Amino acid sequence: MSVVKRASVAALLAPLLVFATGYAESRPLEERAAECVACHGPGGSSSTPGVPSISGQPQFFIINQLILMREGVRPVAAMADVLKGLKDEEAVALAERFSSTPIVRSDETADPALVKRGAELAVKMRCASCHMPGYEGSEQMPRLSGQRIDYMIDALKAYRDDKRPGADTAMTAVVYGASDADLAALAHYTATK
Amino acid sequence: MRFTRKAALGGVFLWAFAAGAAYAQQPSGMSQIDRTNQAASKQDPGLRPHATPPVATPAEKLPLDKIKLPAGFKAELWSSGHPGARSMVRGDKGTIFMGSRTIGRVYAIVEKDGKRETKTLLQGLTQPNGLAFRDGALYVFAINRVFRYDNIESKLDNPGDPVELTQAFNLPPEVHHNWKYVDFGPDGKLYVQVGANCNVCEVNPGIHAQIRRYNADGTGMEIVARGVRNTVGFDWHPATGELWFTDNGRDWAGEEGPEDELNRLPKGMEGANFGFPYCHANGVVDPDIRKPDACAGVVLPAALTGPHSAGLGIKFYTGKMFPAEYQNIAFVARRGSWNRAQKFGYDVVIARPQADGSAKIEPFMTGLLDEKANAFFGRPTYVLQMSDGAMLVSDEQNGATYRISYTGAK
Repeated sequence: MSVVKRASVAALLAPLLVFATGYAESRPLEERAAECVACHGPGGSSSTPGVPSISGQPQFFIINQLILMREGVRPVAAMADVLKGLKDEEAVALAERFSSTPIVRSDETADPALVKRGAELAVKMRCASCHMPGYEGSEQMPRLSGQRIDYMIDALKAYRDDKRPGADTAMTAVVYGASDADLAALAHYTATK
Repeated sequence: MRFTRKAALGGVFLWAFAAGAAYAQQPSGMSQIDRTNQAASKQDPGLRPHATPPVATPAEKLPLDKIKLPAGFKAELWSSGHPGARSMVRGDKGTIFMGSRTIGRVYAIVEKDGKRETKTLLQGLTQPNGLAFRDGALYVFAINRVFRYDNIESKLDNPGDPVELTQAFNLPPEVHHNWKYVDFGPDGKLYVQVGANCNVCEVNPGIHAQIRRYNADGTGMEIVARGVRNTVGFDWHPATGELWFTDNGRDWAGEEGPEDELNRLPKGMEGANFGFPYCHANGVVDPDIRKPDACAGVVLPAALTGPHSAGLGIKFYTGKMFPAEYQNIAFVARRGSWNRAQKFGYDVVIARPQADGSAKIEPFMTGLLDEKANAFFGRPTYVLQMSDGAMLVSDEQNGATYRISYTGAK
């Protein structure tokens, strides 16, 4: 329950005040996008273990997550520096770009037994009602189809263990009490849909 | 000022004590204590809350031209560019403080040299919707965390460290339906919302589904209303001093309701029961959680405010600008439905208190819902009376506020 006092509150607020008054330049989109693909892979499709693909995600989802991470509502250490000073319109432009780039599946191998188990669980847990029947996501709900399996296992565990603060408590409630094996099955199934 | 996000999600474990490994019949996204029978509602299972954009609508694209008001009233843009615009309180020096939900910010809107400026005062909080102002201090409620910023209007550019009152208020950490609404009552007490942490469930009546009041320092807690699913706004009648509050009805029990409520807590009935989870609206028995004589002893609403309409902010009008017939009537912002195929609400209605303690609901600000296209252009969330008697309406969808003034013949 601690309030973090940053060394310079003024410096921290600067980007936001800038957004409000509008006198700072946006950085070139190419420069921003280059920082994204440096980790998230060419076009935003990741071949790096643990790093999610951002291509093919719903535009709303990308905008939402960029801004929640920038605001510190969803703190992600690896993203903190790159998101410094990100303007709202830059978030919108990046989201436009990566949402319209098709996702390229990673070379991870899906386990057929886990895929089968995941398909059964997904029906019971009604995953498709928010993530859509093809698991392509919708608005604030992310695409699961084609996403990296290892990333999704980590993300699901984080939801279950209350380590994924952010916009929606729905996921935390849905995966409450699920075993590691079940979460892995869900990841293997939805990634390969 | 930026906050670390200490997840207030710990409470999810409390919701879920009965979970086991069963995924049971729960609709997706609901906690394990929830007793919602989505299938029985026969509603489209694809219905889900409309996402709130984390970016504001550019001023030139705001739906001002859609807004319709009674003759003599007009709407103009008052502020924009502050995503997630919700609750509003005014400081003694005229600052408008504004709370939000998902984006986690508290804004301060000031007028300086004839220009209006929006500052992001706080960020990184969890759903800081609960704001109150008293004796120069801003009180910020973010789920269960409580902060007091003394002398805030003289340090809007650097609010500094607040006095943390989290422990004193000892509010439950569950997030769901606990984005706070708070306000000081005429008795000087700080009234605080504590919602039900489910759609419909057996809550612990000693903790959830209440309105409480405290001394300003967090001591002296009393429960003033029970069985309140989720009040998202309240005010006191200027003449009677009685507490009136909105309460959002449960979802997944049909398109037509149970309707949302505008409630009145009669004088001398502090602690009264308003029915949740057994008895909704004007005596609708819950289909999923039953008990004998479900509505016995329940205070029924002063008015029904429509199915899934999401009545939020309420303010009784006491200004001099509007015609006399508006004195002491309440304005209620309805954010608009999600759990209904045909959208409903997305407006501001007036509630005219009647001699028998009930109220009559009439339209006031409309036009943000296109019924034919089943589409909405904005979502009114809170209302605030300004010192000149004009009224501000916040629009969460667009991150803007509209100023409603009366210019017609008096």
